[in-house]
Amino acid sequence: MSLIAEDIRVSYGKHEALRGVSLTALPGEVTAIVGPNGSGKSTLLGAITASLPYRGTVSLNGQDICGMKPWQLAAQRAVLPQASRLAFPFTVIEVVRLGLQSGTAGDRPEVPMQALARVGLAHYADRTFQELSGGEAQRVMLARVLAQVWAPVENGQPRWLLLDEPVSSLDIAHQLQVMDIARGFARAGGGVIAVMHDLNLTALYADRVALLATGKRMAFGRPQEVLTDEILSDAYGCALRVSAPPPAGIPFVLPHAASA
Amino acid sequence: MRHWPSKIAFRTGLCAALCSTFLAMAVSAEQSADTPQAQADVLSIGGSVTEIIAALGQEHRLKARDTTSSYPPSVADLPDVGYMRALSPEGVLSVGPSLILTEEGAGPPEALDVIRAANVALVEVPDALSVAGILRKIEIVGETLGVPEHAAGLMAEVEADLVAALADAERPEDDKKRVLFVLSTQGGKINASGTGTAADALIRMAGGVNAVSDYEGYKQITDEAVGLAAPDVILMMDRGGDHGLADDELFAMPAVQLTPAAQTRSIVRMDGLLMLGFGPRTAQAVQMLNDALYAKGT
Amino acid sequence: MTVVSDIAVAPRDQLNHARALHWVLAVALGLACLVNLQVGATDVTLSSVLAKLAQGETLSQIERVVLFDIRLPRLAMGILVGAALAVSGAAMQGLFRNPLADPGIVGVGAGAGLGAILAIVLGALLPVWMIDRAGNHLVPFAAFLGGWGSTILLYRVSTRHGRTSVATMLLAGIALGALAGALSGILVYIADDRQLRDLTFWGLGSLAGASWAKVLSAAPLILLSLGTAMMLGRGLNGLALGEATAAHIGINVQRMKSVAILAVAGATGAAVAVSGGIGFIGIVVPHLLRLASGPDHRTLLLNSALLGATLLILADVIARVVIAPAELPIGIVTAVLGAPVFLWILLKRRGLVEL
Repeated sequence: MSLIAEDIRVSYGKHEALRGVSLTALPGEVTAIVGPNGSGKSTLLGAITASLPYRGTVSLNGQDICGMKPWQLAAQRAVLPQASRLAFPFTVIEVVRLGLQSGTAGDRPEVPMQALARVGLAHYADRTFQELSGGEAQRVMLARVLAQVWAPVENGQPRWLLLDEPVSSLDIAHQLQVMDIARGFARAGGGVIAVMHDLNLTALYADRVALLATGKRMAFGRPQEVLTDEILSDAYGCALRVSAPPPAGIPFVLPHAASA
Repeated sequence: MRHWPSKIAFRTGLCAALCSTFLAMAVSAEQSADTPQAQADVLSIGGSVTEIIAALGQEHRLKARDTTSSYPPSVADLPDVGYMRALSPEGVLSVGPSLILTEEGAGPPEALDVIRAANVALVEVPDALSVAGILRKIEIVGETLGVPEHAAGLMAEVEADLVAALADAERPEDDKKRVLFVLSTQGGKINASGTGTAADALIRMAGGVNAVSDYEGYKQITDEAVGLAAPDVILMMDRGGDHGLADDELFAMPAVQLTPAAQTRSIVRMDGLLMLGFGPRTAQAVQMLNDALYAKGT
Repeated sequence: MTVVSDIAVAPRDQLNHARALHWVLAVALGLACLVNLQVGATDVTLSSVLAKLAQGETLSQIERVVLFDIRLPRLAMGILVGAALAVSGAAMQGLFRNPLADPGIVGVGAGAGLGAILAIVLGALLPVWMIDRAGNHLVPFAAFLGGWGSTILLYRVSTRHGRTSVATMLLAGIALGALAGALSGILVYIADDRQLRDLTFWGLGSLAGASWAKVLSAAPLILLSLGTAMMLGRGLNGLALGEATAAHIGINVQRMKSVAILAVAGATGAAVAVSGGIGFIGIVVPHLLRLASGPDHRTLLLNSALLGATLLILADVIARVVIAPAELPIGIVTAVLGAPVFLWILLKRRGLVEL
């Protein structure tokens, strides 16, 4: 009951964006995908969500996603895209309800409001989506995704949240709020895969980290194993130093300590 | 004009056919024709048909007309049921006609079907581009309205006028002027008449030569083709307004500049219905055009 | 976090609002039908005919023809065409994620126009037995085939590896429209004078040629297409989030798009075929409804059918009484009424909606 991607290859024309990347994400954990710009992070998530053509295999809870219908996939995993543009002036609550359509909570009309409350925007239910700031829009989309897989475990099977840079346009407080929600989902038995830009948040919330560079997986493991001086410096092409203050034992990245 | 001799025989045959077809109507119409205050119950569609009805002295029987019916001017007061090719069936029925006389080509067909379904007699008068055709139109209208004796009188009159006008207009082939009929100059493009049109027929009757004989009907032609056609005179419909200005504009068009007509500023404008209607006034149109073409020239 | 009090605030329910609107619009359509049957160039009225029937009197021939052969088929055609145009517009806008999209844009209208012009200009060249069979249905049928064919061609051009790119489709629609326009231009050139006048009046759009035969020829295709379109609501809602996200929430996007295109082509082709080019219904009706009750396609599609039919048959009343006994082509009425509304919508929504 995990999400396993094996030897994933994706090409854009002649350019090979992913050159055989494997990844295993376990329920109960937050798995972060990190790496420099253009390393293939979002491409890997695209393959895992079946959004783009890929070679290799992706299996979700033991089933190859290749043979699954859209509604079967939708019942098992929800996807938060990087940026969401909405074509028509739907209200916030209507957007969240869209997540219910094929999700597992379809017969529970209270779920959308609860999901909105979870991201702290219940009082925005009647606003038009287009009126929202970028950060608010991103949280509404998270609520939509949560509504789709409201119960982290259903029929003994974990549900999955696949998040593409979920905190990219959020302030620090909401970054923490969203990551708390993701971790809460994992702790309740669900699985979370998140493409992350911020190495500190990754260190803070990820249980497992996959580090990509130039379409290959450079490292995979616990944050302490992956977020090291030499691995990061190698991947990002600049000398980085990771500090781990003794009390919490959690590593953090100090850009101030960077030297070209 | 060579087929005149067959006219009489044709007329007799037609007469018989019409008499049997419209017997009932003719009988009822005969009664109303006798009384000048007869109820107006005829809808006339098509400018030439309306003209013929008026020329037969039956204008009082007209209840309504279509947009193309503009002569005599007094018919303008009648209700207008719209353009003859886009009739509204209910609009037509609303004027309460018991007889509809129409030129060929009224429509749409669905509208005519419904009108027939309402038991309104509908008589189509065939188009004509010849003397025989004009006389036939008069004959059919006369029979249908139950005034064959009026029709016979009008036909004799119209035929005499036309024969005289044609004889008067006749001239040696190499002495004929080349005439270009311009339907419109929209967007700087000349829309000119080819063969087989009313304009073509009238030009030939009036002793001219149609400058364009490469195609049938009205079409836009290129500037160079206008030059090649080399018209001596340009013929247009009179749409009112300032002709001096319109002429300047016309002769300034690159297409027209090259033509002999532009050198002599030769342009003739005539009323569209008079010129192209092929009704009772066609002799007048032939004469007018012939005068305009040759009175000052040569 | 004040979670509890947040939840206590029940969201304003646009969906119920829109469902209530179904009933309002249905009643409005009923009233519009009555007005449509009551008013016309003749002094025959629905009320007088009903009164006569109630007293067991027989109707005059004029009354029967006007009511049953003129106004009723025309009303039926107005309802079908109005509903078809409005629903096609709503579905196309949902499909293209663009509130300005219209079947006219993706070439269905241009293709239908080409078919009609072909039939008018070249129809005379057909063997006599074919002309006899086709009769008055030749032009409508050719218009429908043209719309259908151009949609399928468009779909082929813009679909690669089972995926339709909306951008390619829009561009291909423009190219196809231009091509159809050019071919039509050539045909207009070789058309004779009388054919040209037929073309002009066909292009303006009119319900004047309504007959039971026409209604019956268009009704099956329009009803089938409308019924299909009514099932697209959920999919079009999802598509508002983009194709990828729509797939993520469980929508079979490719199949949904194919079905939507077929439904739109069927409804528009058949409608344009029997009534010519009637504009603005497809754009204005869905816009007004989104203003009134939100963009949820599950209700928008049915409401569009009701409001489209209502507006078109009211426009038809205007078309036939303004200059009675003559009548205006209804396309002129919808353009005169629709274009300002459309501009007003643009001004009002500018900035709020990505166009």
